[in-house]
Amino acid sequence: MALLELKNVTKNYNNECCALDNVSFSVDKGEFVSIIGPSGAGKSTLLRCINRMVEASSGEISVDGVISSSLSKKKLRKLRTKIGMIFQHYNLVDRLTVIENVLHGRLGYKSTLAGVLGRYNQEEKSQAYRIIEILGLNEQIYKRCDQLSGGQKQRVGIARALVQNPKIILCDEPIASLDPNASKIIMDHLRNISKEMGITIIVNLHQVEVALKYSDRIIGVNRGKVVFDGAPCDLTTRQIRDIYGSESEDLIFELGERHAG
Amino acid sequence: MQFKELIVQETNNICEQLSSYEDRHTSFKELFLTKDTINFGPIKLLDRASIAMRTVILFLTVLTIYFFSTLDYQSIDVLKGFTDTFVNFKTMLLNPYAQRFTLGEAFYNVVVTLGLAFLTTLIGGIVALLLGLLAAQNLAPKQVTNLIKGFVAIIRAVPTILWVLIFAVAAGLGSAAAIIGMSFHSISYLTKAYSESFEDLDRSVIEALMASGANWWQIVFQAVIPSSVTYLLSWTFLRFEINFANAVAMGAAAGAGGIGFDLFMAGGFYFDLREVGFITYLIIAIAIVLEVFSTNIKGKLQKSI
Ligand SMILES: Nc1ncnc2c1ncn2[C@@H]1O[C@H](COP(=O)(O)OP(=O)(O)OP(=O)(O)O)[C@@H](O)[C@H]1O
Ligand SMILES: [Mg+2]
Repeated sequence: MALLELKNVTKNYNNECCALDNVSFSVDKGEFVSIIGPSGAGKSTLLRCINRMVEASSGEISVDGVISSSLSKKKLRKLRTKIGMIFQHYNLVDRLTVIENVLHGRLGYKSTLAGVLGRYNQEEKSQAYRIIEILGLNEQIYKRCDQLSGGQKQRVGIARALVQNPKIILCDEPIASLDPNASKIIMDHLRNISKEMGITIIVNLHQVEVALKYSDRIIGVNRGKVVFDGAPCDLTTRQIRDIYGSESEDLIFELGERHAG
Repeated sequence: MQFKELIVQETNNICEQLSSYEDRHTSFKELFLTKDTINFGPIKLLDRASIAMRTVILFLTVLTIYFFSTLDYQSIDVLKGFTDTFVNFKTMLLNPYAQRFTLGEAFYNVVVTLGLAFLTTLIGGIVALLLGLLAAQNLAPKQVTNLIKGFVAIIRAVPTILWVLIFAVAAGLGSAAAIIGMSFHSISYLTKAYSESFEDLDRSVIEALMASGANWWQIVFQAVIPSSVTYLLSWTFLRFEINFANAVAMGAAAGAGGIGFDLFMAGGFYFDLREVGFITYLIIAIAIVLEVFSTNIKGKLQKSI
């Protein structure tokens, strides 16, 4: 049984048609899936429907066997603990330290009071330390997050997601504000997470060549519709043109370069 | 020497340009020395704003002249009035002396006034913390924030002393009315200040925590308040200083006791200028101490947080 399953998911904002139009696919445990498509295609909306930060207008989404649309507030909270999320702008609390930000990932598991008081048990703390160490942030652990570089911030974001013990991590353009070096570090970490920990990764990407390099599978979206769903090696120039419409010439050029090189 | 050559070349270039300029026009020197007739307009153009400005100034001037020329001095000698006031100030400020109370009693009354300020700031701060959360646009639905912000703006528009007098209808003049009235105004002031500090935290950060399953209270205490705590504290100190000044005034005007009441008695009842001077110095000293204290703490907070 698939870990994540979308059936005929549709989303209209303010009754306008259609940020998402009848989207169906399913994703297995440990898969690394990239979602590509032009700006405004509905990639962010698609990700946010999965953890119900955005309510789908119709259709069915099930995560780990649980159908999410009918959940009560409390059960939804519990479901969200299984879904980590990282963002283009990191969305950390800048004035807090790295370790405090990472431990925020545990809040979903705690009672309101324990969370309010910030009481984390020994096990949670040592797990957070371990993850921070794996991501190579041990020197920054007590630094405030506004003193970090973009790449370091994004690693904190990943740590915060990992400390949730998630089954899926959703990444909304995680490398869009990073330089190539930091991007590579982040993407390598994400790939390791999916391969070694068996956590499903779903990434929105703008860079087709990155998607080709890292993904097990690529989903192309245009105007809310899934127009491609398959392995990177099956992605042809024509299909890229389908996904990106007419503005795709330079992308195709890059792709040609890659095949030549 | 390449560098030298370069400079020489540049200089020559400039000279050439200049001389060609001079060919086309008359020489610079001539331009400077001609006295006649380059006709500039006025430096300031007469647009609507400056016309309005001039009208206002003219109007005020006329009004002032009219005021002084028609003022009814009755039997008061203006010059004597000025000198008397000056003498009064001199006694107040140069010969301060307390007759009716000891230094200990004066300090006790200062503490009463400080207590009044502290209590009203505390009540205001606690209630405003809650209202501020509900008035922050990143934390509460739009209708709620608008409702609270509007409500609080109305309260703030009425001065503190009026609120005290309004509550005095129910509670009678005295410390109870002063506390309720001053707290009321503090709440509205701090709610606005707090909610704006809370809004400093980006909405997307809150969404990130929501997406990980955290609930509203956890987000408030783990993210929103930690990132705005410096602002909260400095606003609260500012309000404490305001409330100290208010508490002095309320002591006099609403009979709330404390050093303000002493001031009122000394000035309005015993006409003892030397005592007024003494109390004034005391209040100024306290105000300075508060100022230094709060500046210090703010500095430390900004460093550590
Ligand atoms: N909160 C919202 N209210 C109304 N319309 C929205 C909202 N969010 C997104 N949309 C619309 O939904 C469509 C899809 O937006 P979405 O953000 O999912 O695109 P995207 O593929 O993530 O684009 P980008 O690559 O620029 O991030 C767009 O047409 C956008 O205008
Ligand atoms: Mg997007």
